[in-house]
Amino acid sequence: MLLAAPFAASALFVAIHANFGLHVLRRGIVFADLALAQMSALGATVAFAAGHAPTSAAGIAYTFLFAAIGAALLTASRVIPKEVQPEAYIGIIYVVATATTIVVVDRSPQGAEHVKQILVGSILAVSASDLPKFAVLYAFIGAIHWLVRRPLLAASEAVHSKTGRSLLWDFVFYSSFSVVVTSSVATAGVLLVFCFLIIPAIIGSLFTRRITYVLGIGWLGGVAASAVGLAASFEFELPTGAAMALAFTLMLVIGAVLRGLIFAPAGGRRICIRIFLRAASAMTLMTVLLSAIWLMIMPRADQPMLDLLQSATGIGPATFLAVQERAVYVEALKDAGYRRSQESQLTTLERQSRWRGDGLSETEVRRIGSFQQTFNEMARGDDFVVKSLSGRARERERWYVGLPLLITSLLGLLILLPSKWRADPARSRTVCLRFLRAFLHVADFVRRLRGEKTEPAGDAMIRRSINGGTVSAGPEALTGGCQKTTYGCPDP
Amino acid sequence: MHAAFASARIVVVATTSDIASLVSAVGGDLVQVKTIAPPATDPEEFEPRASDLSTLSDADLIVRVGLGYDLWIDKLTIQLHRPEFQAGGRRSVDASTGVPVLEVRGRNPVTEDGHAHGLGNPHYWLDPANADAVTAIIAEGIIGLMPAARDTIVANRNRFLATLHERIVAWMQQLAPYRGTALVAYHNSWPYFARRFHLNLIGFIETKEGVAPSVAHLSSLIAVMRQSGARAILQEAYEPKNLSEMLSARTGVPLVVLAPTVGSVPEARDYLSLMDFNVGALARTLATASQ
Repeated sequence: MLLAAPFAASALFVAIHANFGLHVLRRGIVFADLALAQMSALGATVAFAAGHAPTSAAGIAYTFLFAAIGAALLTASRVIPKEVQPEAYIGIIYVVATATTIVVVDRSPQGAEHVKQILVGSILAVSASDLPKFAVLYAFIGAIHWLVRRPLLAASEAVHSKTGRSLLWDFVFYSSFSVVVTSSVATAGVLLVFCFLIIPAIIGSLFTRRITYVLGIGWLGGVAASAVGLAASFEFELPTGAAMALAFTLMLVIGAVLRGLIFAPAGGRRICIRIFLRAASAMTLMTVLLSAIWLMIMPRADQPMLDLLQSATGIGPATFLAVQERAVYVEALKDAGYRRSQESQLTTLERQSRWRGDGLSETEVRRIGSFQQTFNEMARGDDFVVKSLSGRARERERWYVGLPLLITSLLGLLILLPSKWRADPARSRTVCLRFLRAFLHVADFVRRLRGEKTEPAGDAMIRRSINGGTVSAGPEALTGGCQKTTYGCPDP
Repeated sequence: MHAAFASARIVVVATTSDIASLVSAVGGDLVQVKTIAPPATDPEEFEPRASDLSTLSDADLIVRVGLGYDLWIDKLTIQLHRPEFQAGGRRSVDASTGVPVLEVRGRNPVTEDGHAHGLGNPHYWLDPANADAVTAIIAEGIIGLMPAARDTIVANRNRFLATLHERIVAWMQQLAPYRGTALVAYHNSWPYFARRFHLNLIGFIETKEGVAPSVAHLSSLIAVMRQSGARAILQEAYEPKNLSEMLSARTGVPLVVLAPTVGSVPEARDYLSLMDFNVGALARTLATASQ
């Protein structure tokens, strides 16, 4: 299976990065990871620009060299004057590293692609033969960290105090950190390495302070997040690295919710659940309310809530059109699909003619091209009809669907209102009235802006095609004669 | 008469190195050719610089690839305020005029993929037979500016086409045993090449420009490769290799690096050696694959 090796690689990465993440959080230098990862990326880029493959000996040497420079710079953060905040210093390192990467890669052919890959990574391309190498390296570093865990932890905690700061242990930490980041950034990319580092450690810290358990829980959470991210990227056709980063964030949210539930004081669990449910339903109702308001104001704009409704229940624009309009709508949808299939049939025909039979002459290729263009333009004309009619249907839908949703969500929110507000009806009433007045002002303003009194151009076109080409006495509608075609008149 | 005009050279600026190679084949000593997009980069991703403006301002004639491939040239010509350089102008040549376009889409140069294949597939120079039409329109453009040099230009073109046609016969013989071979490419640059040499491109790794392909797409591509018995993966010289290498490792299908433009590999110094390299590399890979 394609996802097996990336999943195993993620599990390994999470295991080692969670440990470093813990230290990073204790030291309070979250962005140091990004800066260090970007310095490694700079090293990989310099190697690449010099013509070495990233996984070759020279490539690894360059990457590690720059990561070591980054580590040295970070260790030197203790000597920066106290007017310069540590985070500012780290941010500057990050920006300089990124800008230098872009300048270096500018001269080499695969430029933009390389920069993007370094950011998002290519964890899909990891092969089963790379896994043992990672495992051995991380086992080695993990063993070292286990052996010197007490001084290292002491050094991490002592960062915020004046005494006990040790240059030696800082250096040990940063150099092992750069080795790990060097190894993972080329495969997983800067984004994912940041996620591997920070999020499992935070998830673990939410539940306990004991190091072993923090790492254990963090690893489980990270592995679960990797699995979810990889599965989502397969199911929903998403870019893998980005999907995994989002999955990690989701896992963090779930961890936070779980913590709230598990660590509630005795008897308070029910209250916690109630507060959570209340907050969740308030958020849902607020979203529905805002979508309904958006629908009322701008029915022709994109309406994600209505699209969701359509995919769930099948109630779409077709339901809100008059009989004749519905016929045109359905016809246009069908025709668009038909034209596109005709176009793709021609593409397949041309593709197969390349090696089957005698091949097509230039004239035949030109004719095919001309037909393809025509079919595409016809399909786009149909799309335009569908879009205009949908707009009209949405304008009607807002009264039948939008208004009830608006009222129900408002009522729901009022019910969920905190009791102290309900106790003071005068205050609630003034708030509601103000809100209503503001809403009406905005709606009126938007309506005037769009000149809703005037019939939109698309509707005029449809109306004319329905009425058989006669220009009816509509208001500021389009005047001027035009040739009647199946798709109405061309745009004015 | 020739001596008098030999010193009068016009400066022709081509957008890509392939067009530049064809321009110098047609123009010979009468033209000084400059290229804007550097040879080893992907011209579809090219972003023009300030220095390109000065290159352009010295030009007598601009030759573009067209079909939405080099839309950035319009940005430059507009900045120069020289309408004769813009599309349709007196000093502008669109090399795609007269080329039979494959994979025609519509009238919008940019598609939903964000890729400039909206008008049609723009990689038409990879079919050596299209060089007839391209050199014709270039010759017309140059002769329009230097009417007295007409005979020389026509002779240059005929000489070039004679060599090219001989080589086309040789190339077709080289690839004749592999007629109908199923191939996969990283990027959809090869339809014209496939048409000329009777190859069957069954799928592409990169469906959207610059966006990593999804896992589902790669899985289905692997299945299609196994089912159709794909014999090689065509990799453009400047595209990232890691996904292609992974696919190659999983399916056992060899990877062959081809040059989509002149200069993208060192062996492809001009148009003829570009086609030589591509045909040779593919023939060698397919020969070893079939053993």
